[in-house]
Amino acid sequence: MFVGQIFLLTLLYQLSVVIVTFLHIPIPASVFGMIVLLVLLSKGLIHMHYVEKGAAFLNKHLAFFFIPIAVGLMAYGGLIKTDGLALIVMIAGSSIIGLFVTAALTDRLSKKVKGQRREHS
Amino acid sequence: MTFIYIVLTIAVYLSSRMLARRFPSPFTTPVFTSTAVLIVLLLLADVSYEQYTPAKDMMTFLLGPATVALAVPLYHNRDVLRDRLIPAAAGLIVGTLSTIASAVWIASAFGLSDTIQATSAVKAVTTPVAIEAAVIIGGDPALAAAFVMVAGIFGAVFGPFLLTAMNITDPFSRGLGIGTVSHGIGTSQAVLEGPVQGAVSSAAMGFAAIVTSFVLPWFFPLIQ
Repeated sequence: MFVGQIFLLTLLYQLSVVIVTFLHIPIPASVFGMIVLLVLLSKGLIHMHYVEKGAAFLNKHLAFFFIPIAVGLMAYGGLIKTDGLALIVMIAGSSIIGLFVTAALTDRLSKKVKGQRREHS
Repeated sequence: MTFIYIVLTIAVYLSSRMLARRFPSPFTTPVFTSTAVLIVLLLLADVSYEQYTPAKDMMTFLLGPATVALAVPLYHNRDVLRDRLIPAAAGLIVGTLSTIASAVWIASAFGLSDTIQATSAVKAVTTPVAIEAAVIIGGDPALAAAFVMVAGIFGAVFGPFLLTAMNITDPFSRGLGIGTVSHGIGTSQAVLEGPVQGAVSSAAMGFAAIVTSFVLPWFFPLIQ
């Protein structure tokens, strides 16, 4: 049953690849598939029961699937030696700025919206 | 050999999970420790990434389905998302533009090449989008994949810690920040922090990819 659920998710993904390729949709197939599954679940076309266990397993081990790809960094030894420090500062710095702006802005705006709703009601 | 590489990768991953559970710290984040250990082992054994690639292809077969599966936490938290759609959209768009601009500016301040500057702009989004977007603005696709990996690992390792240091405790805002700057790898960590964080991070990863691919062709020339 559990394997069947993962098979169903794989089928959904492969279908998304086909749709995204043929319709030239400019978003990754995996993100497109995520939206499709969300719509199917919301419309009740796929019952949560059919995907929940398999999805929980894949979500828990999502990090695993990135590891073999990240190992590809080993091919960049030369660049790391010459520009490694500058690149780390660039990636860390811009990530910290983006993280702070996104989270702080969302946090402040959410509180403001909540406050306004309270005033109106 | 491919079989051995797969067993090795799984063994390293499972050990790194045990290590993270026993010594919880940003530095024991499994995606970081596993990647570092595997790179060292492969270099010591004189195995090239090309030799490891067949194993990689087999192991990443489920990455697509695993990303699709993020719809499940998304569905469970759909009410929160609908409720806070406007603050979330504003935070995500401004946050995406600021991470793109700061990456390009820092790269240019260090005098890095035009190709590297263009590639820097895409480092926050999920690999397939990063690769395509990089090519459009004159970046390098292989390098884009590498930057995306480092940004993802950075977000997974330091994201939760930095958010706490910034005094942001709201699970929704935490998930949104992590997903926006560190895509799937950050999301894999956000899922472990809590269901709301995981769901919001998944949504943020998707929207950041969409926003970046639409905005970059005209935004990049402006900041260059």
